[in-house]
Amino acid sequence: MSTNRARRADTAGFVIAGLLLALALVIVWDLSNLRITSVYGLGPEAMPVVVAAGLVLLAAGNAAMAYKGELPAREPVDIRAIVLILGGLVALIALIGLGGGFIPATAILFAATATAFGRRAILVDLVIGLVLAVAVYLLFAKLLTLSLPVGLIERLI
Amino acid sequence: MDALAALTQGLAVALQPMNLLFALIGVLLGTAVGVLPGIGPALTVALLLPITFKLDPAGSLIMFAGIYYGGMYGGSTTAILINTPGESASLATAIEGNKMAKAGRGGPALATAAIGSFAAGTLATIGIVFLAPWLVRIAVQFGPEDYFALMCVAFITVSATFGNSPVRGLTSLFIGLTLGLVGIDRLTGQARLGFGVPELLDGVEITTLAVGLFAVGEALYVASRRLHHQETLEPVRGSLWMTLDDWRRSWKPWLRGALFGFPIGALPAGGAEIPTFLSYATERRLSKHPEEFGKGAIEGVAGPEAANNASAAGTLVPLLTLGLPTSATAAMMLAGFQQYGLNPGPLLFAERPDLVWGLIASLFIANAMLLVLNLPLVGVWVRLLAIPQPWLYAGILVFATMGTIAAKPQVIELTMLAAFGVLGFLMRRFDYPIAPVVIGLILGPVAESQLRRALSISLGDPLALVQSPISATLLALAVVALIAPFTLRGLARFKADAD
Amino acid sequence: MSQATGWMWQTLVVAALAAVVTPALAQLELRVMAPAAPGGGWDQTARSMQQALVASGAAKSVQVVNVPGAGGSIGLAQLVNSGKGDGRLLMVNGLVMVGALLANRSPVRLDQATPIARLTEESQVIVVPVNSPIKNIPDLAAAVKANPARVTWAGGSAGGVDHITAALFAKAGNADATKINYIPFSGGGESLAAILGGKVTAGISGYGEYEGQIKAGKLRAIGVTSANPLPGVDVPTVKSQGIDLVIANWRSVMAAPGITAEQRKALVDAVDKMAKSTAWRDVLKQKGWSDAYLSGDAFAAFLGREQTRVRDVLISVGLVKP
Repeated sequence: MSTNRARRADTAGFVIAGLLLALALVIVWDLSNLRITSVYGLGPEAMPVVVAAGLVLLAAGNAAMAYKGELPAREPVDIRAIVLILGGLVALIALIGLGGGFIPATAILFAATATAFGRRAILVDLVIGLVLAVAVYLLFAKLLTLSLPVGLIERLI
Repeated sequence: MDALAALTQGLAVALQPMNLLFALIGVLLGTAVGVLPGIGPALTVALLLPITFKLDPAGSLIMFAGIYYGGMYGGSTTAILINTPGESASLATAIEGNKMAKAGRGGPALATAAIGSFAAGTLATIGIVFLAPWLVRIAVQFGPEDYFALMCVAFITVSATFGNSPVRGLTSLFIGLTLGLVGIDRLTGQARLGFGVPELLDGVEITTLAVGLFAVGEALYVASRRLHHQETLEPVRGSLWMTLDDWRRSWKPWLRGALFGFPIGALPAGGAEIPTFLSYATERRLSKHPEEFGKGAIEGVAGPEAANNASAAGTLVPLLTLGLPTSATAAMMLAGFQQYGLNPGPLLFAERPDLVWGLIASLFIANAMLLVLNLPLVGVWVRLLAIPQPWLYAGILVFATMGTIAAKPQVIELTMLAAFGVLGFLMRRFDYPIAPVVIGLILGPVAESQLRRALSISLGDPLALVQSPISATLLALAVVALIAPFTLRGLARFKADAD
Repeated sequence: MSQATGWMWQTLVVAALAAVVTPALAQLELRVMAPAAPGGGWDQTARSMQQALVASGAAKSVQVVNVPGAGGSIGLAQLVNSGKGDGRLLMVNGLVMVGALLANRSPVRLDQATPIARLTEESQVIVVPVNSPIKNIPDLAAAVKANPARVTWAGGSAGGVDHITAALFAKAGNADATKINYIPFSGGGESLAAILGGKVTAGISGYGEYEGQIKAGKLRAIGVTSANPLPGVDVPTVKSQGIDLVIANWRSVMAAPGITAEQRKALVDAVDKMAKSTAWRDVLKQKGWSDAYLSGDAFAAFLGREQTRVRDVLISVGLVKP
């Protein structure tokens, strides 16, 4: 939806309205999982119903705005930068999930973000990221005895 | 015992060199962890408990108080400089504070935050000395219906953060309310929107949402526009310090912030977020420069900062007088007391006056210490913005993820952080306001559970909601706040016509 | 700034540790998992065990790992899945986890883990506001029996120990447990405020949490849920007032599944040694926990009985489907 560059035909606005409607449907569908509904006073279904109803109304409101073309003009997006940052985050999540440890994960995120912002020295950035991560790791794991995810490098320290 | 005499004695305890050192360690440590999102004072105190029990009670409690206040300061520093609220209480600060920093006014923003925190913290500490026993009697009378009424007042103030389109603002708010539904329903213990994922049962963490939307979303947005829209950051434009005009515009918000923060902080379920939002909305409405709001208005930093520090002092009222821990940090301090076989509560003032008054006195000292430490550092902090943009944002992302990794090193939590980052990016791109999402997540679940508690006690009779004098007053206030802008506008038009 | 803090802190830590650590002879290197965030009861238990295990020489080194979430369900899942066969891993748990696993429909079960020992327990107390017409347990039982909806209970989370206690109370008094009007509050402070303000009929909590208020005469304690009166506490037991209710919030320690008999014995021996040490007794005294040490097969049998009891209660309040 971010690639939409048209000024008047606001498909993006309709997509947003559609997403809000879908969210409302998910909330209503989820209500079927509740087993206890009759306690004294209001049950757990009251708030979801209110929120879902609000979302339906807002979906209509957003659709109306899209129809009138009231969405702000968007600038072209540097997809490469977004992919690099999200890639860095995915690498971090994967490394932590697979037991790669906190330090390499953080260093990779640092280097990926710096590259996304136009730096062309990935090795230098990796080293800076490593130093930063080691300092943070020492502060938390060693001084505050907080358990950060441990991988190969962390075991050596 | 006369409060003043007791306080003097307390000062004598707190001013002992060793205790001063503990206060110093506390505020430094507190600032350090307050800077990190997700790692708050509560967690720090928890980790330190096993180590500090070898110290003497006065010293370690004084240190804990320092950590508490230091954490509040640290949280607002990152909120202003890098748009990453370290605690949910610094959220309102980030809205205007970061805009100021980007406009080269980070110095005055940090200064008004520091001085406002000091002023409000000091006022609130005086409040503890003189008003505690009286305030706590009222606080205990607050029932679920009264809290619900207070939430209604708070909800009205959300509109102050909506920007120029109510539909967009409400859309943001309802996304937040939806996120607030996730997890175990507090009243019946059933999962809502859990999708069978156990990690979701505890609900969406406020800091994960705030850091994702604010910090990660901002990084994505700035990076995506880099080629077409170069962001120029000047650390200092104009004066590094507060100008006379800044002072003139700050002092009233400080006082009003303290007036919101202290009493609400003293309520057992009051919290620090609500007073900061109330303060933000009030300053926006009262400001002579409403056009600056959203672009970096100093009132929008001064008020909420004062409110959050005053509320931190407020939470000590029920803790010291009743032994009621009303925030996570207060709960940890209670554990700290109990470690020494002390039970805070009605008897503590009588049994260990030296300790209680020493602690209260150390609040004054911690506050003064933070001011002395932070003001000279303003220049250094602001220079952080001079770091080349790639490294600055890389550092911000490292900080943002680190808080989550340290607090909850789970794949699902980190995935949520990244997802909220994408949401924040899209919302910026399509011009939806960010703050209402977080406010919805904070207020929604509280309002819901208080309403349902009230109705459960009254066996479903809705009249119970207006029968308490406190709730009736607050609801009336909410109605006035809702209608006033329209009537005032009408009145102004009428006057203009008459002229 | 953080470096300066770190340095100062390190000095402090070293000084403190030097005072605590005695020469350790054992070779056991353990990890103790607290299936909760730092600060809560399980975390404090884990960190106290860390101190006592090392100080008593039962283990060479102990690392505490926090795995928070869903009343301990996430921690247990980790113990059962990725911890399988790990003879150096312990996990703290307690009565709360039994309820949470059932209420959350957790895919992992407590009997998949290897029971090691029960460590501590805390008695529950039932209180009423000081100006309440209810003077004792029979008064309260009569009120619940007459109209369970009119008696509002304040306590901790739904399905937690306080909720279970309220339901067991109604059952023992021949009232309808499905109709109790139990109102969960987020923290001890909030429910205490509701009782002090007279917003609810009665409140339930661990005794320690309300001790200060009870001693100061701000709350009227009408019964404790222990089998025998608590030493030094002037509150009669619920049982002695004709309602057959005995319940304690216990905490215990478990090990991973799939460990060998020798590994299990080594762990039980280490915990046995810790529980007998003066270091552990100091911890108990300092935290105000009462000793409820029970290890090996006796603990396993106890665990089985508690699981059945909690399951029955949660079915009766509708949180768990039969």
